[in-house]
Amino acid sequence: MLKVIGEKKLLESPKKLISAENLPQMAASDLVDGLKNYQLWWVFAAHDIKQRFRRSLLGPFWLTLSMGIFVGSLGFIMSQLFNQEIKVFTPYLAIGIIFWALLTSIIMEGCTSFITAEGYIKNVPMPLSAHFYQVVARNIIIWAHNMVIYLVVFILFIHSFSVYNLLFIPGFLLFLANAIWIGLMAAILSARYRDIPQVITSFIQVVFFVTPIFWSVTNFPKRPAFVDWNPCYHLLEIVRAPLLGQAPNNLSWLAALGILCVGLPITLYLYRRAYARIPYWV
Amino acid sequence: MAHISIKNLTVEFKVYGSSSRSLKNQILSQATGGRIAENADDAVTVKALDNVSLEINDGDRIGLVGHNGAGKSTLLRTLAGIYKPTEGSIEIEGTVGTLIDPSAGMDPEATGIENVYLRGYILGMCRHEIDEKVDEIAEFTELGDFLHLPVKTYSAGMFSRLGFAISTAISPEILLIDEGVGTGDNKFIQKISARIKSYFDRASIVVIATHDDEILKSIGATNVLFEHGANISQVK
Repeated sequence: MLKVIGEKKLLESPKKLISAENLPQMAASDLVDGLKNYQLWWVFAAHDIKQRFRRSLLGPFWLTLSMGIFVGSLGFIMSQLFNQEIKVFTPYLAIGIIFWALLTSIIMEGCTSFITAEGYIKNVPMPLSAHFYQVVARNIIIWAHNMVIYLVVFILFIHSFSVYNLLFIPGFLLFLANAIWIGLMAAILSARYRDIPQVITSFIQVVFFVTPIFWSVTNFPKRPAFVDWNPCYHLLEIVRAPLLGQAPNNLSWLAALGILCVGLPITLYLYRRAYARIPYWV
Repeated sequence: MAHISIKNLTVEFKVYGSSSRSLKNQILSQATGGRIAENADDAVTVKALDNVSLEINDGDRIGLVGHNGAGKSTLLRTLAGIYKPTEGSIEIEGTVGTLIDPSAGMDPEATGIENVYLRGYILGMCRHEIDEKVDEIAEFTELGDFLHLPVKTYSAGMFSRLGFAISTAISPEILLIDEGVGTGDNKFIQKISARIKSYFDRASIVVIATHDDEILKSIGATNVLFEHGANISQVK
C-alpha cells in the first residue's frame, strides 16, 4: 500500500482536528494552505486563459492587441484634442489603463470567485482561498501580457532608464496587496449578498472618471478634494510614477500603505467570520 | 495508523430564501422597524447532523445508510473538511481522498490528457504524481487516440470511463465516497470491478454513503444507519 503512494507518505500520517472551537485557526490556515497549493490554482488560472483563446491564432496576445489598439488610438486622439505632447501623454495613459484593468478585474472577478466555484466548494476538499487566488493569478497572467504595451511605449517614447524605475517593485507589491484585500472582501460579501457584484460594477464606472487616467492631476492645480481622497488615484500613482521614471509622491505611498493597514485586517476578520459559512452561501 | 474520531458532531446551517439574500431587504428591514422584516429573514436553520459520535479504526469499512436527506452526505462533506461543525469535533489521522463529484475539475473543451491533469490536481495530486500515473490511466481507459481529442467529442460512456480511471488512481489512507463509483459500460464491468476492489483495498479506511447494498456487501461494510441527522444503529 505504502509503495504505491510514494516515499513521502511513509512518514507518519498527518493529524487533523476539525472542531467548532478551532474554526478561527482553520480560517487562518486556509489562507496559508491556499497559497501553498499554488500549483493547483496556477494551473487552473492558466487553463482558463488557454481555454478562452483556444484555436485562435494570437492566443492571449489578443488581449494585448486589443488594449494596444485602444491605448494607441486614444493616445493619439486625446493628445491632439487636449493639445498635449503625444510622447508624454501616451505612456501615462498606457500605464494607467493597464493597471486600472488589473485592479478592477481583480475586484470584479473577485466578486464572483466563490459564487462561480460553487461546484468545487461543495464537492472538493481544497482550501477555499484557492478559488480567489485563482482569480488573482488569472488576472496577473493577463496583466503580464498587457505589459508588452508598456514595453513598446517605453521603446518608442521613454527610452531611458531612471533610478526611480526600481521603486516599481515595492510599488507593485503594495498595489497588489491592496487589490487582493479589496477583491477578497468583495468575494466574501458577494457570496452572502448577491447585489454586491452589481453595486460594485456600477461604482467602478463612476470611480473610473474620478481617477486620473485620461487626465493628470498636474493639469489641475486647483482641483476638487475628491480627487485627492480617491484611493485609486494613489494606488495607480505608486506604480505609474516609477514606470514613468518620475520621483515618488510621498502622499500616495503613505495613502496606499494606510488603506492596506486599515483594509487588510477588516478583510481578515470578515474571512474568519465567513469561512465556515461560505460553503452554505454559494 | 489511520483513525477517525467523531465526537458529538452537530452541523447546522441556514438556508436563505431568495429574499433575504438581497441587500435591499436587509436595509428595508432596518428602516421599517421590522414590518417588512417578517419575510426579510426567512432563513430556515437546518440541523443536518445532530450530535453524531463515531469511532472509525484502521481497517474499517463503513457504509452510511439511510433515507435521502438523513445526513449521510453531510457527514462525508464534514469529514472531508468542506462543511464545518457547529458543535463537537472530528479528529482525523491519515491522508484523506474524496470522491463526491467524480467529474469535478474536468473540462469538456480540454483534451482527455489535459483532463487527466486537471482532475488529478483537484484530487490533490501534484504534477510529478500525475506524470507518473498518466500512462497507466490512459491504458486503462482504452481510449487510445481519443485522449488527444476534446472530451466534448466523447460519448457519455467514454467520458465516465475517463473520470473513473483518474478518480481511482489515488491512494489515500482514508477514502470518502458518495454514492459509489462505477460506470455503465457492460463490456467494461469486470475490468472496473477489479479496479474498484484494488482502489478500496489500498485504503486503510473506507467511508461510503450509498443506497446500493451490493457494494456494501462486497466490501463487508459495517452499516451505520442515519435518520434525521443522527446515527441510530450500527449493523455488521
